[in-house]
Amino acid sequence: MIDGVPDADLDPTDDGTARWQRAAVFFGAWRDGDSRAMDDLVRLMTPVLWHVVRAYGLERTLAEDVVQTTWLQLVRGHERVADPRAVSAWLTTTARREAWKVGKAHGRVDTADAEGLDVLLPAQTSAEDHAAAGDESRRLWDAVRSLDQRCQRLLRVVAFDDRPDYAALAADLEMPIGSIGPTRKRCLGKLRALLEPAGGAS
Amino acid sequence: MTDHEDAELFARLRSLWTGIDPVPASLIDRMIAAVATDSLTEEYALLTLVDQPLGAVRGEADALTLQFSDGTTSILLHVTSTADGRHRVDGWVDTATAQIVLSQGDDIRSTTPSETGRFVFDEVPSGLTRVRLTAQVGDEERTLSTPQFEL
Repeated sequence: MIDGVPDADLDPTDDGTARWQRAAVFFGAWRDGDSRAMDDLVRLMTPVLWHVVRAYGLERTLAEDVVQTTWLQLVRGHERVADPRAVSAWLTTTARREAWKVGKAHGRVDTADAEGLDVLLPAQTSAEDHAAAGDESRRLWDAVRSLDQRCQRLLRVVAFDDRPDYAALAADLEMPIGSIGPTRKRCLGKLRALLEPAGGAS
Repeated sequence: MTDHEDAELFARLRSLWTGIDPVPASLIDRMIAAVATDSLTEEYALLTLVDQPLGAVRGEADALTLQFSDGTTSILLHVTSTADGRHRVDGWVDTATAQIVLSQGDDIRSTTPSETGRFVFDEVPSGLTRVRLTAQVGDEERTLSTPQFEL
């Protein structure tokens, strides 16, 4: 098990409050006139949006642009978010739709880029006492990469989006709504099976 | 598998992706700045890609059609590849527009559309591209910009 230290700020339960709830509080405060609350919301949700958008295989510069478009759409169209509690789902759904459209326009899923990420792994193993965690990451990454694109995308989106809008996700992945749950289960099952042989029961 | 075990695996996946594909260092600060600047000035209206049928169609022969809109103004870009590997952008805008600017990094070119809103950029190299336009809505001038897209 890898310690969740690097992503502590992404852990939906790290201070006992789910991220979507914290997002709702910031957004509500911003609407009530606290302009700095928007900075907190951007800080909280930008990493989530980054991973959601990158799950669609967009090259990094385009991904940054999609994240920015998402924020500007929120600032300019915030009255469309009727209930502050929906702001987290609104942001991730908007980012996914934008990423999906941009990805389609460029006519490809950038698998080459996923290969490129590979080189970032060894650096984590440089310190001796991190070697075990590094091996663990390597095995997990190898397993993730052997999943089909749809599973990789679904797992990454679900991992970072603590309250995915299943209807929108289903539409984006061109799947019936009712099949997201089973597909998620199937993808997790495949991932576990891939992790088994090398490391025994986890 | 229990929900708890699923949650644990998702936590490992988060660590993995956080480690191998980290959020660019300055992204959060840039987003804060973008949002702050935007709410102060509303410097330009944001055009977003319109979804199918005309939103983004990559046809045969490497032709690409992109439509952007902000609900008031729409711009249609039809991109074809030329023999030398460059691109020709045939555009059409539905609002009276004084100037259309196509930028690729520091490389900027501009043109004025015809009375029917048509314009052409020829010999455009590949790369990340953005189109801005200055539209006349009533007696007000508005600057609109597309997000970046790749040629």
